[in-house]
Amino acid sequence: MKQELLITVNGDEHHLLVDTRRTLLDVLRDDLGLTGTKNGCGAGECGACTVLLDGEPVNSCLTLAHEAAGRDVLTIEGLSSGGVLHPVQQAFVSQGAIQCGFCTPGMVMTTKALLDRNPDPTREEILAGLRGNLCRCTGYVKIVEAVEVAQCLLAEEELV
Amino acid sequence: MSTCIIGKGLPRVDAVPKVTGAAQYTVDLKMPGLLVGKILRSPHAHARIKSIDTSAAEQLKGVLAVITAKDVPDGLFSFYQWLADKNILCGETVRYIGDEVAAVAAVDDDTAEEAVSLIKVDYELLPAVFDVHAALEPGAPLVHDDKESNSTWSVERLFGDPDKALAECDFVVEGTYVTHAQAHTCLETSNCIAKWDEKDRLTIWTNAQAPHTQRQEVARILGIPRRNVRVINSYMGGGFGSKLVMDVKLPIASVLSRLTGRPVRIVNTRSEEFTTGKTRYPYTMSLKTGAMKDGRIVVRDLTVIGDAGAYHDKGPATINFSSMMFGTLYDVPNIRFQAQMVYTNKEMGTAFRGFGNPQLTFATESQLDELAHKMGIDPLDLRLRNSNCSMGTTSCGAEICGCAMTECMEAASEAIEWSQKKARPSDGTLRGVGLANMVHTGGGGRFYGYNSAEAFIKLSDEGTVTLITSALDMGQGSHTTMAQIAAEELGVSLSDINVLSHDTELTPYDLGSWGSRATFMDGNAVQAAARDARAALAEAAAEMLEADPADIVIEESKVWVKGSSEKHDLFEIVDHAVNAHGIPISGTGQFVDKLPEGYTIPTAFAKNIPCFSFGTQAVEVEVDPETGQVRVLRVVAAHETGTTINQTMSEGQIEGSIAQGIGFALMERLVRQEGKVQNDRFLDYKIPNIGDMPEIETILVESVGTKGPFGAKGIGEPGLVPTAPAIANAVFDAIGVRFHELPITRDMVLEALKETR
Ligand code: FES
Ligand code: FES
Repeated sequence: MKQELLITVNGDEHHLLVDTRRTLLDVLRDDLGLTGTKNGCGAGECGACTVLLDGEPVNSCLTLAHEAAGRDVLTIEGLSSGGVLHPVQQAFVSQGAIQCGFCTPGMVMTTKALLDRNPDPTREEILAGLRGNLCRCTGYVKIVEAVEVAQCLLAEEELV
Repeated sequence: MSTCIIGKGLPRVDAVPKVTGAAQYTVDLKMPGLLVGKILRSPHAHARIKSIDTSAAEQLKGVLAVITAKDVPDGLFSFYQWLADKNILCGETVRYIGDEVAAVAAVDDDTAEEAVSLIKVDYELLPAVFDVHAALEPGAPLVHDDKESNSTWSVERLFGDPDKALAECDFVVEGTYVTHAQAHTCLETSNCIAKWDEKDRLTIWTNAQAPHTQRQEVARILGIPRRNVRVINSYMGGGFGSKLVMDVKLPIASVLSRLTGRPVRIVNTRSEEFTTGKTRYPYTMSLKTGAMKDGRIVVRDLTVIGDAGAYHDKGPATINFSSMMFGTLYDVPNIRFQAQMVYTNKEMGTAFRGFGNPQLTFATESQLDELAHKMGIDPLDLRLRNSNCSMGTTSCGAEICGCAMTECMEAASEAIEWSQKKARPSDGTLRGVGLANMVHTGGGGRFYGYNSAEAFIKLSDEGTVTLITSALDMGQGSHTTMAQIAAEELGVSLSDINVLSHDTELTPYDLGSWGSRATFMDGNAVQAAARDARAALAEAAAEMLEADPADIVIEESKVWVKGSSEKHDLFEIVDHAVNAHGIPISGTGQFVDKLPEGYTIPTAFAKNIPCFSFGTQAVEVEVDPETGQVRVLRVVAAHETGTTINQTMSEGQIEGSIAQGIGFALMERLVRQEGKVQNDRFLDYKIPNIGDMPEIETILVESVGTKGPFGAKGIGEPGLVPTAPAIANAVFDAIGVRFHELPITRDMVLEALKETR
């Protein structure tokens, strides 16, 4: 059954008619064309579909679109502004934390949420925070480094 | 050699689109009229199809086509066509749980799924066989009843006199080693879109590692001219071998598109990817190694039984490649390799990073430690005494040009503090160190009877360099590598280069990205093309600057005459050449890997490998006696790169390989009951997550002698080859138990610890 849905994605308000059973992931990808958010399993087990809902990371494949009604969704497409990469994105690029890139949007969004919540995480906290995000390419070494570099970049930003 | 761009850990050229979500993967593409295709798969491991009733599915609103075997060409397919054994859709017999039986095209996912569920198939169950040994028993059910037995392919290789050597050597160890099915688990599952145009040409968008050979494969199975098929790649979410050979969803989508006149997309669900996406071939290996008192290994004798699954796919090629690596490692003078691939009623295997070598190396390098133990010498010492040497031809005919095996061993053992840790008195913790060596191809292979590549470069007056190469980037970074090679040779900045590799209509014919091939093969072609373009550019600059072409210097997109301080923008020269004189600036490059004297496919054996790469991994593990968990604490990976093209990316290839190697060694195995996969999701089939990873130190060992671009070798696969035996050897060091089977699970460890107490 379709219902009206008012949703804010990356600052843009959308007024949609959406079946109540559909996931946020499907609506982002199919209705709004925001294909940066990836589907790696569709079952909440890989983290590739991570977006921020009112700042909190969620698996959009397990979130019904209507759960996001009236709330703020941030996807990978909304992270950089005016062509300037967010520090987390910069760090992933500079550290070589990207290979095929399919896990990257989810990794980046999870990292952003992690550093928003805890600007100064320990190595253990980083590992715990990214446990739900699978990557088959990198072996995670450079992802951990990227998170640590992002942490420094964000701290420097704070100072200015 | 002084270089500006080679060797630097420069960020990948595609990093920004990937980190902003702008990169479009095949699964992200949209097009008007796109239909959803779904496949009905067999729920039985072995059965005869008595009848199929598609009427209910056809009547469902929103369904545009329903197809079964009678609607598709009835030819059979395999990677080697002369071994063809796979239908597009099964007409009479299904041979594993997941085999393709029928397919639908519908307006959306829900409708397609419902339509599939409405197809009624009447099966008559047949006896099935899941185990290779049972499959070889006389009277075993035949997976393909037109064949005489389930043994599908055998290889025998003999060098020297192994029987005599075994009788005469001082020490012999023997054992049987077993590996199981590992899934590739690319984060982007296998998918495609097929669409016919008004000229009767078929375009397929898919994530393929070898679009040109897949184009041929699609044409072959559909019985249409090759020129009528075009394959387009997008960004790819991983490959690791799984996307090398055509999947039948390509012809299925093509037939559905033909019938509906609309583009049709088929995407594997994650469960389909686990259960039908093909796996690493499980091997059972019976091995003997013999050595003399002085430590020289004189003989190795191996029998392999490989589990093909229900169809051939890459099985024969995989086992052949294993034999070549077996013959080459340590240059043992007396070698026997006997292998057969065996059909079973299971998901088939295919290429997987390392291509039969990780399985093999688990056996050979575990046994080497057993031998050292028996001889009472340090395993490192035994390896050093047998190290491959840098030049010359091995007993099995492998031509080694450039080998840093000894340097790799020294670097890895030093970094892991081998002698200190070996001598360490037990402090109650169950810690141990282990190491393993490997040899692998660093440049693809000549298995097709040829090995060549081509590339084109054009310089535009508006200021870009377009590089057209067939080096497909599935995530390993070949676009960046190719761009670096072109930039270095041509003298332009990396950011001025735009790489195109995605469209068979545009790119030169190529065998694809596999076997650590792209850097060596396509890289050489790219370097040649850049050299050619550079010559054209130097000519144009010489004319404009009134100098001798030999005096023209081109670096980082600046051009000047040797000795002059006046530097010109490179694109100013191009602009002048094109717009004032009408002279286009471009380059073509080819690399034909010359076949050795007397080469024939059946006899070539290790002469198939144009470039060998060596490496050593040393690991430290800790075993938890309570839970049985093996925790890898640290891995030092010393691998040969020839010349490192990109430090960061080479490390990344090795780190990613090690993660897959740890999975192979300790975690990953598709578990089946009566042929049904029990762990078809990430929750149950665990791959390493960020918390499972050890500290990794990567040591890139440069070496001379190879014919790769700037002296480089491929590094995509080697990092996974020695990881599992290094871990198994470290586990032995920690608890004194030798595991002959992978993965080494907690239960296995607990069981073994119980027995030793
Ligand atoms: S797609 Fe949502 S967790 Fe995998
Ligand atoms: S970069 Fe490929 S899955 Fe992470």
